[in-house]
Amino acid sequence: MRSALRRIIAVTHKEFIHIRRDPRMLASVLVMPVIQLLLFSYAISFDVTDVPTVILDQDRTTASREYLASFEHSDFFRVVDHIESDVEADRAFDTSSAKVAVIIRPGFADSIAEGNKADVAVLIDGSEPNSAQLGRAYAVALSSTEDRQILVSWAESQGLDVTSMGSLSPQIRTWYNPDRRSADFLIPGLMVVIIMIVTIQQTAVSLVKERDQGTFEQLTVSPIRRAELMVGKVLPWLILAFIETAVIVAVGVLFFGVPLRGSVLALALGSVLFVFSSLAIGLLISARSSSVEVANMAGLLISFLPGFMLSGFAFALESIPPALQFISYLFPGRYMVVIARSVFLKGADVATVLPQLAALLVYAVVSLTLASLAYSRRL
Amino acid sequence: MTSMLTRQSHHNDRVGGDGSLAIETRSLVHSFGELNAVDGVSLSVPRGSLFGLLGPDGAGKSTLIRMLATVLAPSDGDAFVFGHSITHGQNAIKPRIGYMSQAFSLYPDLTVRENLDFFAELRGTPRKEMDTRAQRFLEFSGLTEFASRQAQHLSGGMKQKLALAVTLMHEPDLLLLDEPTTGVDPVARREFWRIIAGLHREGITVLVATPYMDEAERCTEVAFLDNGKILLHDTPLDLKQRVCEQTGTKRVSMEEAFAQVISEARSGEARA
Repeated sequence: MRSALRRIIAVTHKEFIHIRRDPRMLASVLVMPVIQLLLFSYAISFDVTDVPTVILDQDRTTASREYLASFEHSDFFRVVDHIESDVEADRAFDTSSAKVAVIIRPGFADSIAEGNKADVAVLIDGSEPNSAQLGRAYAVALSSTEDRQILVSWAESQGLDVTSMGSLSPQIRTWYNPDRRSADFLIPGLMVVIIMIVTIQQTAVSLVKERDQGTFEQLTVSPIRRAELMVGKVLPWLILAFIETAVIVAVGVLFFGVPLRGSVLALALGSVLFVFSSLAIGLLISARSSSVEVANMAGLLISFLPGFMLSGFAFALESIPPALQFISYLFPGRYMVVIARSVFLKGADVATVLPQLAALLVYAVVSLTLASLAYSRRL
Repeated sequence: MTSMLTRQSHHNDRVGGDGSLAIETRSLVHSFGELNAVDGVSLSVPRGSLFGLLGPDGAGKSTLIRMLATVLAPSDGDAFVFGHSITHGQNAIKPRIGYMSQAFSLYPDLTVRENLDFFAELRGTPRKEMDTRAQRFLEFSGLTEFASRQAQHLSGGMKQKLALAVTLMHEPDLLLLDEPTTGVDPVARREFWRIIAGLHREGITVLVATPYMDEAERCTEVAFLDNGKILLHDTPLDLKQRVCEQTGTKRVSMEEAFAQVISEARSGEARA
């Protein structure tokens, strides 16, 4: 046991020397995250469809039902639930089962009939900026005078008498991220993407490099076990990934002023599981690649594409094709993005993000098992 | 290195093979697809010998050595290293051998001393002996003043000496050296052989593969491998004597002796 520990420490120590002596690796670990932070802190807006929406109809009239039906038929909104109270809207946001809540108060139909302004409350989950932006734009279009045509034609298609209807005035409140500052939603997501890219790419080449250098045979004639080699090689990246996570959080909070409203424990738990999952992906690539080039490419592809595109960081996952949505479940990024955003912006605690934490736990266990199997077979 | 000799006596937990032999292979085969790189080799290497494994490129020398180092599994047959089978006794073999592969197989970005220390740690070298051993092996391989130089900045000869020093840190009883002098300049080659001879005198069994016929002269026994088969196994002296008698010449060089015997053996094989 003690000699096993000694071998693991020897490997870890050696890996740290490699990192220290390789300027390119150092740059990709230290400089790249900073560049990405700066780069992506300039937000870009993306189109969104199928935003999960809950509906609360307290008026319960033909007019209110017809108004709400337009949400049900729209491509932009996907009505997932009809709820009974404001509290349920809150809960839907907390569990991320909805991004938008449309609420019609009692007296909606009466106001229209009297030709007065009818109030509709549209609540938007601001921690998902794309959905928030769209929901906002859509709802604003209903009320703005310039877009009156939209309102009119839409109202006509519902068979309402526009002239006698008065006008709808949606009142929009963006929850959780009231200023809708880009840094606030980008940095929690970016943290996930950076950690994924760094850990996957670096561990992906680690084993292949030993084989390439011929040092691998020397390891084989030594008494080191596969598992010990794997742990020793992963340990430095585990440590670096945690340091990096802490640095990004600190920079986000102190420099960009991102609020950290929720439980740090939930964030830390998620990060640990997420880093383990990413490392396992890297190890799997390493065990399956025939050369350093292949490992590099595979690492790049897997960390950038699913990590970047399918994590919910850049594109809201509701707006991508179902096949891609399915693929997104196969990578740990999407769970961690939800955790990070919920903790940062919604003030979530461990209980709130429990489903995502559980998913990551399962992911980490399964992927690490697969990686150690692949590792021991390949050596 | 008396400690090494006493250590040997504790290792009499033989599971097969002849105890006086460091290596014994029995109809050892390794095939890469259709090709038998090692084709039924039965060979005995006595303890304490300096055994030269000669043969042209592609004869199967590396494949044979890699199997003995337990890096490569045989396709058929078996071999015993200090009585332990290479197919199921690897863990008993590994601590007692030092293996130097043909390609430079150390970390180029680690310094001389870091390479030594890393492999010594992996091999479980006693902590309190690490420094003395490292100093001793650096000293005798002439690398002391380069201890803090990165391996990639060493000359070819120095690299080979470092690789040798690395295999010695856990004080093995058997050294398996795969073409250690290939691509090394003549001066460094002579230097390297001086070191090998020194290790041999200390009681370490050495199996060295080489394509250079003249190096056979320095060995206590030689075997010639061709197309995966052993064509001859003899002592250099007996080999030369045999050729002298056959050809009626008084003196014959090692290279001439080999040329003669090999062409005979090859034509004999062609006829059969």
